Parts: sequence; structure tokens; C-alpha cells
Amino acid sequence: MRPWFIHLIKLLFPPQVLLPDIVGIDIGLTLSALAIALYLTKARRWGWLWREWLTTVDHKRIGIMYIIAALIMLFRGGVDALMIRSQLIVPEAHFMGAQQYDEVFTTHGTVMIFFMAMPFFFGLFNVAVPLMIGARDVAFPRLNAISFWLFAFGAALFNISFSIGGSPSAGWFSYPPYSELQFNPGVGENYYLLALQVSGIGSIATGINFLVTILKLRAPGMTLMKMPLFVWSALVTSTLILFAFPPLTVALGLTMLDRLFGASFFTLAHEGMPMMYANLFWIFGHPEVYILIMPAFGIFSEVVPTFSRKPLFGYEAMVISLLAITFLSYGVWVHHFFEMGAGPGVNVFFGLSTMLIAIPTGVKMFNWLFTMWGGRIRLSVPMLWQLGFIPTFVVGGASGVMLAAVAADYQYHNSYFVIAHFHNVIVGGTVFGLLSGMYYWWPKMFGWKLNERQGRWAFAFFFTGFWLTFMPQYFLGLEGMTRRMASYPPGLGWGGLNAMSTIGAFIMGVGFAILVYNIAWSRMHPEWDTTGDPWDGRTLEWSLPSPAPAYNFARIPEVHERDAWWAMKQRGETDAVKLSPDQVEPIHVPKNTPMPICLAVSFFVGSIGMVFAWHWMAILGGLGVVAALAYGSLEDDTDRELDPTTVLNTEKRLGRVHP
Amino acid sequence: MQEKKHEDPTLPGESVEIPLLAPHLSTPHFPARQIAGYVASLILTGIAFFLVARHALPLSWLLAVVLILAFLQAAIQLGVFMHLREGRGTTWHLPIIGLGLFVGLGIVGFSIWIMLFKSGVS
Amino acid sequence: MNNPIGSLPAEFENTHEGVKILGFWVFLATDVMLFASLFAVYVVYRSRVALGPTPAQIFALGPVLAETLILLTSSFTVSLSLYAARQSRLKSAIGWLVVTLLLGASFVSLEIREFVKDVLAGHTWHQSAFLSGFFTLVGTHGSHVTFGIGWAVLLTLELVLRGLTVANRRKLFTFALYWHFLDIVWIFLFSVVYLAGVMT
Repeated sequence: MRPWFIHLIKLLFPPQVLLPDIVGIDIGLTLSALAIALYLTKARRWGWLWREWLTTVDHKRIGIMYIIAALIMLFRGGVDALMIRSQLIVPEAHFMGAQQYDEVFTTHGTVMIFFMAMPFFFGLFNVAVPLMIGARDVAFPRLNAISFWLFAFGAALFNISFSIGGSPSAGWFSYPPYSELQFNPGVGENYYLLALQVSGIGSIATGINFLVTILKLRAPGMTLMKMPLFVWSALVTSTLILFAFPPLTVALGLTMLDRLFGASFFTLAHEGMPMMYANLFWIFGHPEVYILIMPAFGIFSEVVPTFSRKPLFGYEAMVISLLAITFLSYGVWVHHFFEMGAGPGVNVFFGLSTMLIAIPTGVKMFNWLFTMWGGRIRLSVPMLWQLGFIPTFVVGGASGVMLAAVAADYQYHNSYFVIAHFHNVIVGGTVFGLLSGMYYWWPKMFGWKLNERQGRWAFAFFFTGFWLTFMPQYFLGLEGMTRRMASYPPGLGWGGLNAMSTIGAFIMGVGFAILVYNIAWSRMHPEWDTTGDPWDGRTLEWSLPSPAPAYNFARIPEVHERDAWWAMKQRGETDAVKLSPDQVEPIHVPKNTPMPICLAVSFFVGSIGMVFAWHWMAILGGLGVVAALAYGSLEDDTDRELDPTTVLNTEKRLGRVHP
Repeated sequence: MQEKKHEDPTLPGESVEIPLLAPHLSTPHFPARQIAGYVASLILTGIAFFLVARHALPLSWLLAVVLILAFLQAAIQLGVFMHLREGRGTTWHLPIIGLGLFVGLGIVGFSIWIMLFKSGVS
Repeated sequence: MNNPIGSLPAEFENTHEGVKILGFWVFLATDVMLFASLFAVYVVYRSRVALGPTPAQIFALGPVLAETLILLTSSFTVSLSLYAARQSRLKSAIGWLVVTLLLGASFVSLEIREFVKDVLAGHTWHQSAFLSGFFTLVGTHGSHVTFGIGWAVLLTLELVLRGLTVANRRKLFTFALYWHFLDIVWIFLFSVVYLAGVMT
């Protein structure tokens, strides 16, 4: 009989995590973690880290943490993408084995959607939305911190899978029966289920938080139709999250019950129904892609007017089309599985509803173009990403309409045509939008701008690389290359297009490297933003200093029209945002709290217990969750008051007090 | 032009609609509404149970009646017990709950339709 | 508790508490979606019994009727607790809350007894897709009730320690919303799962 620790080691380190490259990455990660820990100890920054960041409930700091985490995840998902493309550069390449290839494309998709795109726009929501509506914080600051830490530990859980226990390999939507225990006995799938479950709870909480914030905390006079469009997009995104994530919770939860507790939902035996998973998953999954794109629409609706110096063309039409897309997006999910055989009635209904979405989306496209029409356009970096977005997204949208034609979809389905389509919309829409937003709000977050010249180079490489990567894939799809092939034989004529695609991917990689360099260089040579309004902006966040003080607004502004800050500048009333010493009032701000991070750590511990089916550990984590919730419920001393003198001194230092 | 009704500068956007709600918010000296709601829900449950236990109607009718009774009961719970019409300022919870019920029913209905596999050819 | 607008209950008096109540409503909307998804699964799986029992073979309406009556009564008692709180009668509010949580506990214990009986008879959820859907749907409701009991215990503690503060009134109000919501879910479980299950 083997001693228990040998058994444990075999469980934690199965052969698939002992490949030389993975071990190399493990060593590198361990060393860098040690280096960071050593630095923090030497510089005595542990206390600072704990007080200023780990326990913070300030939406601006939470936003920054989201964005940093998202960039790290963009790197991770990007490396996965490069590995995939390296494998496919020539026929029958064996850079990776098929198992590892499956794990890499699974992590690529999952990381990019759940741990890159979503936290990235949650970060931008946090940074911008409260400032844009003239609020001092979000409605539930503590819940906001909980959301962040649940995301962070969910992401951590997902990311440790490749070095401990093995990664999931069933693709980002993880269809049964392949994801069931019978075919996928390792722990990888458990990681997937629990990581998404934990971060999904955080996403639902974020949705609730921003919905209530936007509905209830707007500045006086800011009616719904005077809100900036980014706030509108945050509102509809939150609504989509609220109604889309619970079905995902159910789909993942039922798979977990199947795997860990022997239920028969999606199994082949006992009349389980694998396609019911597809149904549930895409009830979530299709709104999810609109969850991903709406924030980008919102960002572009801020960027275009600012850099064209014109008010947004057709504001009402923009709002109506956002609402129309939101509504329609709940009724299209079957187009992900037309081939299931639900029947012509079902397929036609969902095909038509899918095509309908193109109409409001087209309206938005034209409105951005008309906003630029006749404007004085400045080609700053945020605007460049916007200009890159328009053709890219139009191609992606048009190929989407092609896919919505049911009969034709029987040909396109599961081919590289689909891959090209959704990268066109998700990279060309969401990622371009998020990067545009990052450059746009970066000065507001940190007080310094990102270097323009380097930013242009990053854009140029990323954009060129993007087109080179994905245009060939449409043709590969039409020539019959199916997605998720670990390798392909020579003689099919796919080699040239695949090689082009791989070269393009590496050019995108260079673009990302320049972007990181851009951030690091600009940090070292900061171009300070002393005015708080570096782009000559239109909305309220630019009326504040960069970065904004903890309480945001010493005095809540009154709003009379859209683009409130622009109007104040036009009327020469910018002094109205300054304070007279007699106007200072005490301000309630929420206290920092360790509860959110403790709650998330408990979830993490409990999830590890579930992944490896160590019941004691799962119970331990569960008790931690209960304890953290009870503590949070019983504690009633959650606010502190900034006295007027502190507020006045802070505002004086920022030069925002009338003499 | 600008309405200046806000009592609390941190929470604007809420023009005061409270007087409108006043009739529903007073707490009378006897919990008559609660008792009436309770009795009504008992009666509705009793009817549903009785109809099913006696097989009093053809199957599809029975199902329809039981579902209608369930929705009636839900309406009672929402209206009587959940103080649905109370709220400060704009009662945003009404459209949100409404949307939730709408999408929820949509999911159930569509899922049944989709998973029936009533396909001629596929 | 003085009430500036006369008839506005105290849980809405403080604007921040009002915001929290809206937040809770939004949470309930997400819970509607959770249960809707589970109902969808159950309804689709209803006839997929494999070699296991059909709904009519395992549902015993007697205990289910008892559970229903208990839950309806608890919904009534929590509304009395809120009613008492609105009249600032602390003891009465605590009393009705305790009655509610005891009723909740008896509901859960009855449900567990039913489940144990089924499992001992060999009808585990492994046996068929129908049983998986049934146990999960009903069990999710049951675990919501269990969570609610834990919440009610904490809330009782807070009421005893701190009295009817504005925050506590808001918590009682949201707890009552949660409890009534679970009652609504149960009504649909009772109708769609149990009553429809024994119709033949």
C-alpha cells in the first residue's frame, strides 16, 4: 500500500502538469512571487498594501485593481492564443500534444471572456460611472469590494489549474457529455465549474450594484435622458447580467452535481439530456456576448463626441437601440445550436430574431459616423481604437448575419468561419473598446497620461495583426477547417492561410508588448494631467481633478443638460464646481473592511475542497463564508465621517476653493 | 426650471412621490390585510388541492386551472404581503421584478418549445 | 421613531436604507431567474424517468399539503412581525419572527424526511433525469429556506441587541420580502411539481 502523500502528489501533479514548459512556468511564477514578497517586505509595504488596496472599498481603487488584473489576464489569454497559433502554423506540427492543445484553447476562451473582458469593463464602470453621474460612491461599496475579490479569487482558482491538478479541456462552453465524469475524469473540469461559479456570484453582485447606483444615485437634474451614454450602457449591461447569469449558475451547478454527486442531468445514461446544458448555457451565453459589447458601445459613444468636438448624433436613437438590443438579445440563443434539430419553427424564429439585432446595431454605427461628420476630429489614441473598431465590427456583424441564416449555418457551424466571426466582434468590438476606454480614462485613474506616440504604435501593430490573423480564418472555415483541431494534414491547402494567421497573431502580440511598454514608460516619465480635463471632455468626470479625491465630489453638481461639463465650459461657468469655504459639509465615506477579501478567500478554500473532493476543506470554506457573512451582517459601524476641515483642506490643495 | 424638491443631496433623481403612496402605507390597528391575505391563500390552495385530489376536471383544464390559481396566489403574496407598491421615489423595483418574471416565463416556455424536438426534418 | 412624512414606514425613512431595499428587490429578480431555469429543467425532464419511478409513483400529497400549510402560515407570521415592527412593538416583532423561523424549521425537517424516505426506497437522483431535476429544484428551494432560517436567527439576535433601529427595520423588511418570495416559489413547486405530478 502506498503512503497517502504519494497518492496526494499523484493527484496534485498528474503527468499532464509535468510537461517541461509548464514546470518552467511554475518555477518562473514561484520566483517572481518570491521576488514581489521580498520587495514588499524590504520596502515595508505590506501594511500599505493591506490598508490602501486589499481592504479598500473605494470604487476608483477597485476599478484600478480590476483593470490591472484584466491586463494580466489579457497577457495570459494572449500567450494561450500564441500557443494555439504556433501549433497550427504548418500542417502536422507537434508543438503540443492534443490534450495540452485542448487545455490551451479552453483556457484561452474562458480567461478572455470571464477573466479579461468582464473585469476590464467592470473596472471601467467602477472608474467612470459614479464620477459621470455625480455620485460619491456606488450604491453598495462593500458589495463592490466583495465582487472584486470574488472575481480575483475565481480567476486565481482557474489559473492555478494548469500547474496543480490539470486544466479543463472541454472548451469554454464545456459541453456535456464530454465534460461529464465518464469522459473527463480529471479535476480540470471541476476547476472550470467552480471558478466560473465563484466569479459569477461576483458578477451578479456587480450587476445589482451598478443598476441601483445608476437608478438611485444620479446628481440632481440628471434625468435618465441626460445621462452620458456610457452610463446607459452600464445600465443595460447590468440588466443583462442580472437575467443572464442565473441560468449559467444553474448550468454549471447541475454539471457539478453530475460530476461530484452522481446526479443524472446531462449524462448519456438515465435519460439525461446533454442538449439541455446547451440550452441553459446559451440562455446565458447569448446575452453574455451583448454584455461584452455594450460597454464598448458606451465607451465609443463617449470617445467619438469628445474627439470630434460635437454632441453625439441621435442620442435618443442610441438609447433606443441599446434598449432594443438588450431586449432582443434574450430571444436569440438557439442560433448557437441550430443543428440540434429543434425543428424548423424554432430555428426560423431564432434566426429571424438574430437578424433583427443587426438593425439597432446598424443605427448605432451610423450615429457614430454622423457624429464624426463635420466634426473637428483629433486622432488621439482612444479615437484611433474607435476608428479601427468601425470596419472591424461591421465585418464581424455582417458575418454574424450570415451565420443567422439557418440553412447556411449548417455549413458554417463549428468551422473557422465562426471563430473568425466572433473574434471580429469580440476583439474588434470589445477589446478595441476596452483599450480605447483605458487610454481615455487612464489620466482620470492615475493623474498622468499614456504616451501618445507609443500608443499609436501599439494600435497600429494590434490592428494590422488582427486583420492578418482573422481574415484568413473566414476562408479556412469556408474550405472546411473545423474549430478545435489540434492538427491538420498537409494537402488540404490550409497551410498558407494558417501561416498568415499565425504571423498576424504574433504581430498582435507585439502590439500588446508595446502597450505594456507604453504603460511602464509613461509611469516612469509621467506627463501629469494638472487640469483634470486632458481631452477637453464633455461629461462630469472631467470636472474633477485627476485622480479624484476619495469622496469624489465635495459638492454634488447640479445638472441641467446632457454633456453637463461641456455646457459649463461653454457658458464659462466652470468655477461652479469650486467650493466656497462656507459651503463645506461633512461627508460620509464607507470604512475599509477586511470582510470582502476574507469572504473571497473562504470561497477559494471551499472551492479547492470541492475541486479535489476533500469534504473537510469544502466544509471549512463554507464555514468561513458563513462567518464572513454573519460578521458583515452584524457589524453596524461601516461609515466614517470626513469633517469639513479635512474636506476643505483637500479641496484647497487641489485648488478647488474660491478664494 | 429646475425642480428643487430633493430633501437629500446625496440621493437625487427621486422627486418625491411619497404622498401618492400614503394610503397603502399607514399601519392600521388591526392587521386585517394580512389576515385576509392569509385566508385567501389558504382557500386558493384548498381549491387547487381539492380539484386535483378529486380529478374534478379533464387533464388539460385541470392543469390550466391549477396554474391560474398559482398565479393568483403569487399576486396575493406580492400585493398583500410584499408591499409591492411601497418605495421611496420612483418605484424601480416594479419594472425590474416585472422584467424578471417576463424573462423567467420566457425561459421556461421557450425551453419547453425548444427541447420538444418537434422537428420534421433536421 | 418619528416619521417625517407621517405614513412612510421607517425602513424607507433613511434614503440609504431605501436604496438597500431596491437592491434587495433586484436580487430577488435574479433569484426569479435562478428558479425559472430550474423549473425549465424540471419541466423538460418530467417524463424522462428512465427505469426510475414516475412523479405519480413517489409523490405523497399528504406531507406536501402539510408543508404548504406550514409555509403559508409562516408567510403570514412574518408579515405580522413586520406589522408589529411598524407599530414599534419590539417584543411582538421578535415573537412573530421566532414563530416564523420555527415554522420554517419544521418545513425543512418535513422536506428532509420526504427526501430521506425517497432515497431509502432507492430513488436517488442518480436513477433518472426526472429525479435529478426534482431533487435539485425542490432542494434549491429548501436550501433557500434553510438560509432564511439562519438569517432569521441573526436578525432576531440583532433585534434583541439593538432594538428597532432604522437598519434593523430595513433588514426585517428585506427578510420578509425574501420569505414571501420563497412562499411564491413554493406555490409554483406545489402546483407544477406536485399537483401536476399526480394528475394522470
